[in-house]
Amino acid sequence: MNITELLSVKLIKLELNSKTKEDVINEMVNILDENGKLLDKDIYLKAVLDREKEFSTGIGMGIAIPHGKSSGVKEPALIFGRSVDGIDYQSMDDELAHIFFLIAVPEESSNEHLKILSQISRKLMHKELRDSLMKASSAEEIITLLDQ
Amino acid sequence: MKFVAITSCPTGIAHTYMAAEALEMAAKEMGEEIKVETQGSVGAENQLTEKDIREARVVIIAADTNVSKERFAGKTIIEVGVKDAIKDPKGLIQRAKDVKLEDKNNSKVISNIEEKKVEKKGPYKHLMTGVSYMIPFVAAGGILIAISFAFGILAFKEPGTIPAALMTIGGDNAFKLMIPILAGFIAFSIADRPGLVPGMVGGMLAATVGAGFLGGIAAGFLAGYTVEFLKKTIKLPKSLQGLMPVIILPVLSTLVVGLVMIFVIGKPMTMINVGMTNWLKNLSGANSAILGIIIGLMMAADMGGPINKAAYAFGVGTLVAGQTSMVMAAVMAAGMTPPLGIALATVLGKRKFTLEEREAGKAAWALGAAFITEGAIPFAAADPIRMIPSLMVGSATTGLLSMVFKAAIIAPHGGIFVLFIPNAVTNVGLYIVSIVAGTIVTSLMILLLKKDVTVKEDANIRA
Repeated sequence: MNITELLSVKLIKLELNSKTKEDVINEMVNILDENGKLLDKDIYLKAVLDREKEFSTGIGMGIAIPHGKSSGVKEPALIFGRSVDGIDYQSMDDELAHIFFLIAVPEESSNEHLKILSQISRKLMHKELRDSLMKASSAEEIITLLDQ
Repeated sequence: MKFVAITSCPTGIAHTYMAAEALEMAAKEMGEEIKVETQGSVGAENQLTEKDIREARVVIIAADTNVSKERFAGKTIIEVGVKDAIKDPKGLIQRAKDVKLEDKNNSKVISNIEEKKVEKKGPYKHLMTGVSYMIPFVAAGGILIAISFAFGILAFKEPGTIPAALMTIGGDNAFKLMIPILAGFIAFSIADRPGLVPGMVGGMLAATVGAGFLGGIAAGFLAGYTVEFLKKTIKLPKSLQGLMPVIILPVLSTLVVGLVMIFVIGKPMTMINVGMTNWLKNLSGANSAILGIIIGLMMAADMGGPINKAAYAFGVGTLVAGQTSMVMAAVMAAGMTPPLGIALATVLGKRKFTLEEREAGKAAWALGAAFITEGAIPFAAADPIRMIPSLMVGSATTGLLSMVFKAAIIAPHGGIFVLFIPNAVTNVGLYIVSIVAGTIVTSLMILLLKKDVTVKEDANIRA
């Protein structure tokens, strides 16, 4: 079991089009939907937005990790998005967010998937990885970085 | 410095782990030790052990969910949101380093939102901790001795037999640990791990100098507070601090407690024992009813202490080979009623006892019947001021009646098992009446004097 079960080249977008928080969430949810990871896009989107309402998942350090655990998800998946210009995500440190991980987890999901997600969350706390993710020039490189 | 933390967020997918990682990284950079338990969607990982919690200076809870704080009784807790740990982990650890520790007996929750105080505990909690660890030793030792008697009350005297082995296991070993465990865990409750050594050694000394369980309680408290005092007063340069728990605290505290037990407690105990023994000898010719009362009072006064031992030795001294003794009968009967009376009281007055005590009451029936007075010790230790007078009144009743009925026995031990031996007991029927009467008086006294235990106390024992 490794990260490739959750994240594939198709689920990586090195240059996001969106400029606002709302758009970026929509953009990434759409990518999930297009790749057949969702059963019901609206239900999942609502879960993600509800989570954001509790407090912003813009955790600072240029990172945001919107996520939702919802019955609208078909199988667990991860979207990686990047915005070189940065997006105002109402982050805790008031800095722009550049790296986005959208996490989708069904109501019932295996511990293995959850553990992978928890490990990615831990890795993101390290500056070296964040810098490398910003510099990466291909989707394959992102996967390799996260898979380490 | 060592810290422990718990991180938890509502979805349990991302923030829980980010906060944990942030705290671990920050601690590493600051040269501090931290263990972080994550309570996420996969359940609790990297779980904190009791030892971790005990060793930690402060507990950090970074959570947006309800984290149970039961485990952290007596600890200073800093409570923040999970995002605070991600945003400023170093600041949080610095706060944990700087926060003034509250009195160990009062746990305080420092929170951004609310301040909670956990109920106060004190000597009573320490005493109950010791008693609660002692109870299984009493049950194990006592019941094995009783089984040995079941083979015949003298069966254990034949070396290499099962009854002899049972007596060795129960009487010479399990019972020998009883008072060290009581004292050790009283001290443990006061001073954590460093308390255990001086407590157990002090308890052992209490037993060998003949100070009984009351001496053991004294040793436990002395050991606990001595360690606390030493912890506060000894200041060492950082490079030598590692020596504190391994060498300095154990050696110094054990030395202090040991010397006190031998010279301050031990000497008077011997004097009391000798004085009581001589006094009883002078009473030999006195009115037998009065002698019965005195023997009864003495048997229950300190169970295993100098007074009890003087009475028991006096009884054994009246035995002449092959003949029955009235004094010995009174001694044995008066030594049976404390556990029997307690056992009856746990049945009649359920609210007066904790759940643990009610269970231990079942073993007390067997121990009392076998003249293993030690069965009463955990109950007496838990509440000496009310229990000991109750036990003394009941035993005095039995001693008086046994003498008045002119009951007499042939052996110095065995309890109920003696009754089955032909010609071992004179006036068996009335002897049993005197034991039953004392049992009932004991339990009525207990029910009268003892207060109801509250639910809170019940919880403390298991804490």
